[in-house]
Amino acid sequence: MSTDPDAAVSNISLESITDGKNARGIPHAKFVDDIESFANSFNPPASSELLIGAYSDLFSKFKAYEQQLSQKRANYEEKLPEIEKSIKLVRHLKKKKDEGESIITRYNLADTIYAKAEVDCSQGIVNLWLGANVMLEYTYDEALELLTSKESLAKKEFAEVTEDLTFTRNQIITSEVNISRIYNWDVRRKRSNAASN
Amino acid sequence: MATSLLLDFKMPEANSNGMILAKDEENDAEVRREDQDKINEFGQLNARLHEVRGETSKLKSLLEKLDDASTELMMGNGDAVMLRLGDALFEASEEEATEFCEAEVERYQAKLDAFDREETDIQERMAALKKILYGRFGKSINLEEK
Repeated sequence: MSTDPDAAVSNISLESITDGKNARGIPHAKFVDDIESFANSFNPPASSELLIGAYSDLFSKFKAYEQQLSQKRANYEEKLPEIEKSIKLVRHLKKKKDEGESIITRYNLADTIYAKAEVDCSQGIVNLWLGANVMLEYTYDEALELLTSKESLAKKEFAEVTEDLTFTRNQIITSEVNISRIYNWDVRRKRSNAASN
Repeated sequence: MATSLLLDFKMPEANSNGMILAKDEENDAEVRREDQDKINEFGQLNARLHEVRGETSKLKSLLEKLDDASTELMMGNGDAVMLRLGDALFEASEEEATEFCEAEVERYQAKLDAFDREETDIQERMAALKKILYGRFGKSINLEEK
């Protein structure tokens, strides 16, 4: 390793301030037990500015990631009630079929117009919008099966995103606290240096 | 939902608000790993608390709407009503609609009760953590909402 102080910048790699990754590859901010010996573990020993810089970079990365995850989470928060709505509807259709009744509905014809229609439930068929301009015919049971499996998948993914978000927030706090501690350590060090001179 | 964290770890010389702590207010207690874990937990709980409160208020307004609907149904003269499921409206008998409302109320009320319990638990745990962390770091740490 070079002893040129400027070269030290490149010595602080992501690996040296992080500590492994979680299940989905988000790095784990390293908790520094003893800042003095941590700084000295670099060759040459890292300055407080350098360490704070490294943790600030990490902090901003986590912040950006937090934003991304929040967005993703909000998407699921929107998607889940949509699926729930569809399930409710199909259940209603199915119930009517079992009771041998037809349904009289007002459906949205255009933005401000509702039209009246009678739905013959005895057919037991419903069309599901699958996206990408595709709509497919399903029986009520098949539709429910598809929708519930979609729902549980979305719930699982939602839980994962939530977990990652919690994890990322922890890393943000750890980085923040590390920055403060490195700063404090530097202040104390400078103070004791001044006192001994 | 982005809830900003309220953790503001003050530095002895100057904190992020640019406030300078008096010498005797400084606290040299080192942050140990267990302290860091507690600080993280506190942050997590705070974020969750905001989420829970958001959900609670959403559920409350839903329940209010259902309550309004039930009242209207009771005052109605037994004619068929329109029930809104998803984006379409369905004709339903008064009895059917009442049943529907009751089932919905039950479902949302159960959710609301669970959130209420969670909120109480979170607040208890946060109060305990605050006591510990303030005890250790005094004015060097700020756990209050801005």
